[in-house]
Amino acid sequence: MSPLLYLTQQTINALAIGSLYALVSIGLSLIFGILRMANFAHGDMMMVGAFATLLLVHAGVPFGVAVVGGVLIGALAGALVERIAYRPVRGSSDVTLLLTSLAVTYILENLGILIFTSSPQNFPLPALLDDVVSMFDGQLIFTRINVLTLAATGVALLFLGWFVTRTTMGLGMRAAAEDLGAANIVGLDVNRLIIVAFVLASGFAGLAGVLWAAQSGVVEPAMGFTPLLKAFIAAIIGGFGSIPGAVLGGFLLGALETMIVAFLPSSITPYRDAIVFALLIAFLLFRPAGILRVQGEAKL
Amino acid sequence: MTLLRRELLLGLAASLALMGAALAADPIRIAAPFNVTGGLSSLDAPALNGAKLKVAEINAAGGVLGRPLELEVFDTKSDATTVASVASQLVGGGKLAAGIGFTDSDSALALGPIFQKAGIPFVTPGATSPKLPDQVGDTMFLACFGDNVQAAAGAEFVRDQLKAKQVFLLRDNSAEYTTLLAKYFEAAYVKAGGTIIGHDDYKSGDKSLTAQITKIKAMATKPDAIYIAANPDDIGLVVKQFRQAGVMQPIIGGDGYDTPLLLSVGGKGANDVYFSTHAYMAADGTKPIQAFIKAYNAANKTDPENAFAALGYDTVALVADAIKRAGSDDPAKVKEALAATKGLEGITGTISFRPGVRVPDKTATIIGVKDEKLFLAAQVTPSFVPAP
Repeated sequence: MSPLLYLTQQTINALAIGSLYALVSIGLSLIFGILRMANFAHGDMMMVGAFATLLLVHAGVPFGVAVVGGVLIGALAGALVERIAYRPVRGSSDVTLLLTSLAVTYILENLGILIFTSSPQNFPLPALLDDVVSMFDGQLIFTRINVLTLAATGVALLFLGWFVTRTTMGLGMRAAAEDLGAANIVGLDVNRLIIVAFVLASGFAGLAGVLWAAQSGVVEPAMGFTPLLKAFIAAIIGGFGSIPGAVLGGFLLGALETMIVAFLPSSITPYRDAIVFALLIAFLLFRPAGILRVQGEAKL
Repeated sequence: MTLLRRELLLGLAASLALMGAALAADPIRIAAPFNVTGGLSSLDAPALNGAKLKVAEINAAGGVLGRPLELEVFDTKSDATTVASVASQLVGGGKLAAGIGFTDSDSALALGPIFQKAGIPFVTPGATSPKLPDQVGDTMFLACFGDNVQAAAGAEFVRDQLKAKQVFLLRDNSAEYTTLLAKYFEAAYVKAGGTIIGHDDYKSGDKSLTAQITKIKAMATKPDAIYIAANPDDIGLVVKQFRQAGVMQPIIGGDGYDTPLLLSVGGKGANDVYFSTHAYMAADGTKPIQAFIKAYNAANKTDPENAFAALGYDTVALVADAIKRAGSDDPAKVKEALAATKGLEGITGTISFRPGVRVPDKTATIIGVKDEKLFLAAQVTPSFVPAP
């Protein structure tokens, strides 16, 4: 394999994993931007979306329709969590918010275990999506799911970009991100804004859950944990609360993880996660606002 | 009125008599913590079902020392913290003759010290770390071979039967089981005259191994085979991604592959995969295995999912045999009797413990996958076994 092909293949690998991280990170940043709250339950919306899709597929619904259903159910679950658990504690101290969102994630995960058991279950993919695209005599390969994930991230970013700059609701969200209290005073329906933000964020999480399950082949109640952790890292690198920052952070993290394995000797690759977390600490120390966000300026 | 009173008295007497009978046949209690849910459930749940089956058979035949066996079952959820709290609960909850449980070394390590302190012997059906008994103490026993044996059997199979001269070694670095397995494989394979042409790592929970696979594809010297020390919940995905990338060399691994997920998630990617495990559980297996499959199916409405079902069955046989020879359910006596086990015929092989070694010498079964179906590839008793 020529060095150029090798680099290209590793770049494809990085994009494939990075786009998943980015998709999870977008929703996390949207909520943080408005509420200043680290929503740990975000990973569980992935689980809800993936399981809902699986149940619909088992019920005989065509795959595409099942995915749409799964995403909608994920979005609905997000709205319910906001209404039931987060709204009563809105404006409380950071510790209260953190503990509430941890409690929600425990409840949802254990609910998942009660209903589905914590054993991994096979996630069936239609052959069309499972297919491999192969070029240069099989030296360059990627799966249709990789392409779909990348496209979904692109569409999500464009849609959110349009939404927060061109619609009244989106502009309201940015106002709320700027100053929640002031947005309330000037007559914005803050409750409605926040519900919509949760619907959007959780819908993206649901979609990311389906794509994550499709790539890994299994669904399980704890499936949201690893991607949530990665999405937090991505959001911090890119700038927590900034949507373009979340996407940038997701791709950077994917690239970093892939390139460490691709170009460093195998005596160092076991320390991949240590390197990533060291970088995370460095960011928190020297550039806590991330790459894109300049403190106190444009949010979302 | 008097009649009613007499009937009441009669009833009371009858129930007292029943209680007396129950007291006479006071059950012998055996702790049974298993990871019935979570990442290890595809191995632990069959092991527990196998154990329950043997207990039912023993009790139907009159029990041990005239008393029925009773399993105290707890789900430890594939979580080390839960394992430790369940262990304390079990030890503090009334008399136990022994304990059985787990198919992975990490759970057994979390429980071991608590049972060791209480002096209750614990036999694991499927935790295969040969270091385990010495790490925990004289109460910990294995009913299965150690990882050094299965890795050595895998190495000899790769070298002699697959004729692979050079192997790439990939391991999941997040668990004791996989890191040890990789270490033993390397020692045995090099001893057998093979060359390891590269190493790499991944971590359970990473759902993408594409970077590692691309690296292997780009190597100047191609491996003849790839040994992957993997955990059960990842293996289907691992083989699938290798095959999707066009890497078609045989993939070999340990008993972590012995899960239905290998075929259900791996699909046709699982072809040309080989793994060492404890028994070949199929209709064309040995006579005792065939009988076991029939009984297991009758009890669970499904065929045994993998060899861990048979190991669970043998583990109860091992403990029951020790209680019988000890002539008592006193844990200290059961422990001594266990250590003195000689030539116990199980369905996964014969179990004997050499003095001071609480890991039995058993033969490893190598299973292969062809046309998305399992087949018996070899039975290997390795000529060289790396030190634990």
